[in-house]
Amino acid sequence: MEAVVQRSYPAPTERPERLFSDLTPETSRDFDALKSVVTCPKGSILFREGQPARGIFVLCDGRAKLSVCSESGKRMTFRIAGPGEILGLSATLAGSQHEITAELLDNAHVATVRRKDLLGFLHEHREACLQVVNLLSEDLHIAYDRVRSLGLGRSRRSRAPRVQ
Amino acid sequence: MLSPYGLDIIESCLTCKTRSERLFCDLPGAALQTFESIKYATAYPKGAVLFVEGQAPRGIFVLCKGRVKMSICATDGKTLIVKIAEPGEVLGLSATVSGKPYELTAETVDPCQVNFVKRDDFLRFLKEHSDACFKVAEQLSEKYNNACHEVRSLGLSHSAGEKLAKLLLEWSSKNGEASKQEPRLKLALTHEEIAQMIGTSRETVTRLFADLKKRQIIQTKGSTLVIRNKPALKSIAANN
Repeated sequence: MEAVVQRSYPAPTERPERLFSDLTPETSRDFDALKSVVTCPKGSILFREGQPARGIFVLCDGRAKLSVCSESGKRMTFRIAGPGEILGLSATLAGSQHEITAELLDNAHVATVRRKDLLGFLHEHREACLQVVNLLSEDLHIAYDRVRSLGLGRSRRSRAPRVQ
Repeated sequence: MLSPYGLDIIESCLTCKTRSERLFCDLPGAALQTFESIKYATAYPKGAVLFVEGQAPRGIFVLCKGRVKMSICATDGKTLIVKIAEPGEVLGLSATVSGKPYELTAETVDPCQVNFVKRDDFLRFLKEHSDACFKVAEQLSEKYNNACHEVRSLGLSHSAGEKLAKLLLEWSSKNGEASKQEPRLKLALTHEEIAQMIGTSRETVTRLFADLKKRQIIQTKGSTLVIRNKPALKSIAANN
């Protein structure tokens, strides 16, 4: 059953960059000090659409399904996030509500960083701030790609396998 | 100074009266001085194309006055309008930051004033001013929120009627109309452009408007649309 469930989701969107991969050792150490790593079982909801953002979640391993929901309760998968990805970054930086729901598809280690700590870190480390801007840009590119495929039926990137 | 397009050009960001109301523009002193030195103020007429989807990014365009239509286009010519950008928005931001091609086409729907900043200058500006970096992050977050909203609307709305109702409710929630029982909005787009926003045809939009008027859910007076029956419109938007 689990193997069937795993095959029914498309592969995670390609995200080769790691979070803050080009920081100085000292800055990396400062960031690591902010993280709390927890083990979460498959099916855990990391955050829900509409919930106020309290911090970011870094997928150390495993996958997460990112989805959106209509008022009538219909749910649609936005994309599948893979290891190394940061979830909830946009809402956390803006101090707004999460735009999507994130649910783990596998048992996973997840590192959390509280919003207050993240903002303090970014204010102190300029180079990290720029990397965050780059990550947000990439998130936006992926979102527009999804808009394109839904609205026009095509994608600039190779189309992910259809969810069965 | 007046431009040929009837615009009252804002020469300097330092003296701009609306700067404090706009997310990106409200930069602290040193960052603002630097931005002032790297920007080029330009005026465009209606219908001008600032950049095209797929083009290599040359830089950002800060919209000072007017509105810009942001769209994506299929190879068969079908167009989807993703957003109408308002003054204060930074256009071409994610492409300029990432170096990837512009994701959308930007075309002015009014005469516009735009502050253009070359890519290299902008990236250097972000490296030197972390406050500006935060402002950019906020803008990108807002755009991401809008894109998720668009995904929800396109992917989860059944019918064109549902999408049109949602769009009208969204427009009516701006400019202090949200709390009114019969909110008003200015219909600044043609039926064709509204069709491009919700992914349907002009004929369908015209038919839907006629139907809403017949059912007295909306009323039009020139370019002003009044929502007479907001609960009914919300019901259509929720596919009830």
